Amino acid sequence: MSFSRWLRSNSEHYLLIAAQQRVGSQHGARTPRKPHGLAEFFWLRIFAPVYRVLPWSLRRRVMRTMPGSHRRQWSPPPEPHGSALQSYLSSSPIQGERKSDNGTDRG
Amino acid sequence: MGAAGGVKAVDPEAEVVVYTGFDDVAYSPCGIPYVHGREIENFEKLFLASKQAYVDAGIDVHYNADVTGVDVKGKTVDVAGEGQMSWDALVLGTGFNYADPGVPGGDLDGLYYVKNIREAMEWDKVLDSVKSAVVIQASPLGVEMVTGLAHRGIETHLVDPSPWAMSEVADPDIMAPVEESWDELGVVKHFNTTLTAFTGDGTVSAVQTSDGEIPVDLAVVCTHKEPNTALGVAAGLKTGSTGGIIVDERMATSAPDVFAAGDCTEIPHGLSGVPLQGLTGSHAYAQGKTAGINAGGGSRAYSSVYVPWGTAAGKWIIGGASFGETTATALGIPYVVGNAQGISRARYYPGVKPVKVKLLAEPDSLRLLGAQMVGGEGIKERADFLAVAVKFGLTLTDLARMENVYSPAIGALNEPIVVAAQNGLDTASKG
Repeated sequence: MSFSRWLRSNSEHYLLIAAQQRVGSQHGARTPRKPHGLAEFFWLRIFAPVYRVLPWSLRRRVMRTMPGSHRRQWSPPPEPHGSALQSYLSSSPIQGERKSDNGTDRG
Repeated sequence: MGAAGGVKAVDPEAEVVVYTGFDDVAYSPCGIPYVHGREIENFEKLFLASKQAYVDAGIDVHYNADVTGVDVKGKTVDVAGEGQMSWDALVLGTGFNYADPGVPGGDLDGLYYVKNIREAMEWDKVLDSVKSAVVIQASPLGVEMVTGLAHRGIETHLVDPSPWAMSEVADPDIMAPVEESWDELGVVKHFNTTLTAFTGDGTVSAVQTSDGEIPVDLAVVCTHKEPNTALGVAAGLKTGSTGGIIVDERMATSAPDVFAAGDCTEIPHGLSGVPLQGLTGSHAYAQGKTAGINAGGGSRAYSSVYVPWGTAAGKWIIGGASFGETTATALGIPYVVGNAQGISRARYYPGVKPVKVKLLAEPDSLRLLGAQMVGGEGIKERADFLAVAVKFGLTLTDLARMENVYSPAIGALNEPIVVAAQNGLDTASKG
């Protein structure tokens, strides 16, 4: 098994367990059993909390460096196409209202 | 077969040869649990097309073929009993293998891995005499098998090391009603329980777990789907962190004129970019079509995925799109939640069912991150819609103001998605 697969497999597994602990507690549901052994202690008590405090930009950069399909060509979702009724929408006050809506920035 | 059809769609004159290790092609393996559960009367209903249909379409299918090697430079495949066959473009759709449970007794009879329809037909006869069965892991297939076996009246145990079913995908509040309905069906749940061995004299008669022994007649192994990449890796194709074959939007691999599709590949998630492996049958089919069209000389791009999903579970339908609370929390993605408990039809209309919708959105932009749902009907359609909503960047504001169908027999006045979005906006405004 390659290092990247080993890292992905373990980090995904234990980050999910840490998330199940947090989300399960919030919902009053069952939570995972307590960690057993050094490996589980490391991943759940050290790795997962450290991961959580890292900024998303750093996490994303690390994930980007892993080999995978994400490093090859994938087009972003298309911008909204020209409307079938473009002339109507471009003169409509509704469009101006949408621009001021919270969160309408499609990035 | 989607890939073969894709090639023919672009170039009807192309010579298309399909090698499969199975007796059949073009059937719905996803339907197998429902035949076992007697919701579907027989396996014949799962076949989508006859063998003759492929002959008529000019697709040369070699059944029970054993492809032993691929040479991506010489552009050949080695087929046992047939020799070396050449190709101009190759599509790999080698699928998945169940993860090895990794415990003693894995070679006993009575361990059922749901995959091949002909084997499923034989196992279905076995089920007639099975009094108690255990399902190993509450994966999506495990959830369907638990439900199917319980419907059939078999004493069904579920052993899973996680705290709730489908815990790698679904949230506990979504699965809680499912677990309650399993209780009504008599399912014995063993969560936070680790399988340690299969035991028996030639045939499994019990499973050993961290919580003790469970006597059973049959064990259905529903472990994680691992990409079956042996041929591709041996041929030198690159694989990613999931173990799946690396592809681009054309489903092209790292070797020229070699494409791959389905569970043997990995595809990036549309929001996070994190590659995912082991998606759904509809993903595999669309990827196959894309790979086939490009292999045939056409041009089509598949896109990163937002993963609408859903299934029947107990007496409920569950589903979602993109992130839930558990997966978002695991990745460390902040979110606000909007929940709504609604109904599927007018409250007075016969057959009205509850529908719970949970939306997750980015706290600042309010862009939708994902959704999860549980209800009696209309879950699949909402999951499909919400995946598109995530893909195209819709916000809680957009959803709170969306139009919806109101007609007593098919939809309530207050669409649960709208109410969940409004509640999410309220939560977000409180910071």
